[in-house]
Amino acid sequence: MLREDFVIQANIRRMLTRTDIDASQIDFGTVRGVVYIQGTFQLSRFDPSWDSDKANEFAVNTLYSLEKKIRRILGVSDVIFQLNNWEKEKGHWFHAKMTKEDETK
Amino acid sequence: MKPRRDPIYQHILSEIGRKVQIHPNYADLQNQFALLLMVEGDMERAEIHFLRALRLNPKYREAILNLGFLYMETKRWKKAEEIFLSEAKRRPRDGFLHHVLGILYLQTGRQKEAAARICKAMQYHSHYRDYYRKKGVWQRGTIHLDPKAESVLKRIHLHPYAQFHNFVGLNLAKRGKFAQAVKELKKAEGLNPDEFIFRANLGTVYYYQGTYSKAIQEFQKALKINPLYGMGYANLSYVYGLMGRTREALRYMNKAVRLNPPYADLHYNLALLYNDRKQYRKAVLELKKALRINPDYLFARINLGVLYEDQKRWKEARREYRKILRITPDDEHVRKRLERIS
Repeated sequence: MLREDFVIQANIRRMLTRTDIDASQIDFGTVRGVVYIQGTFQLSRFDPSWDSDKANEFAVNTLYSLEKKIRRILGVSDVIFQLNNWEKEKGHWFHAKMTKEDETK
Repeated sequence: MKPRRDPIYQHILSEIGRKVQIHPNYADLQNQFALLLMVEGDMERAEIHFLRALRLNPKYREAILNLGFLYMETKRWKKAEEIFLSEAKRRPRDGFLHHVLGILYLQTGRQKEAAARICKAMQYHSHYRDYYRKKGVWQRGTIHLDPKAESVLKRIHLHPYAQFHNFVGLNLAKRGKFAQAVKELKKAEGLNPDEFIFRANLGTVYYYQGTYSKAIQEFQKALKINPLYGMGYANLSYVYGLMGRTREALRYMNKAVRLNPPYADLHYNLALLYNDRKQYRKAVLELKKALRINPDYLFARINLGVLYEDQKRWKEARREYRKILRITPDDEHVRKRLERIS
């Protein structure tokens, strides 16, 4: 069923406030059911006692969960992430800085 | 003033304290931190941070009022009076300011002036009529400042509780604690019914919570107080959008755009609404306006390309897609669209 893009947008706007993501650094748009997410992905809260591995794991889980939630919105046919600091390759999320470092190794 | 010691409050205090250290030149943070210190009872440090906020932004109304309340709390009546009188001069129809001055005069034994201010508060905001009636101050059309009524009014903690509850409410909402956030924001609203932003914030929390009818009510109350609050109309539009009522959503987004013409995001959302309602010509116009404001607004450009495609304006569609691919060459969706029409 085709759902209006504005309604999808309004759903995403509300959904983002209910996640652990810093929504002020994320921009999103909808084009005929295809949702675009751009900007810098940052968590709005996490436990300061976590080490970087734990924080990364939490960020990855949040990204998977975000994608899942967006796909669940009625009328969404695809989600395209164009983030500055995270990339998805073959279904896995990588910190963009990390992949660049890996390339230079 | 009873210091607040609950864990959520302590957590917010330490978080804002850290931010103030990182960004000492943010007047907003200085004001928020001072407010939290004040509610904790640390008046000396609170005053320092309010004054810092005002050095950074001398017209910062919230910080000015908060400092006035700090002077009231510390019984520096003269300084407090100066602040509130000057604010009342600037906004003579603000019932809350007259209410505050009334309490201040009562505290300093100036009953006649207090009565005059209470009258003005009631004149400018009906909320105060009920409020003073409940407190026994307003009886059968006249003001009664007998010792009992006076002592009731003197015990009232005016502010900066309103700002404080508003701030804590927003912070709780950010943490997903919507029910608690609503409670805090209602307290803020009850303390200062003239402040449209408290109502707008309450509306926003209801919107996040999914209680759409209440969100609409609060946004409409905020807009009654401040009809020029453009984002209030935008929020109303989003709520109606979530309810699937795109006709109302379109009406309110139109008002939001009229009040905030430089916001590319609002033009974009208006374009989506026109597009959803198959008013393509208007949608194209709004997307062009969004792109004039922000030429790198990628989603607006993609939408524009798609709309041109729909209208078989292939050349224009190709032009938009090529511009997008110059910015994001990895966008497969756009590349495929371009290939299809090339």
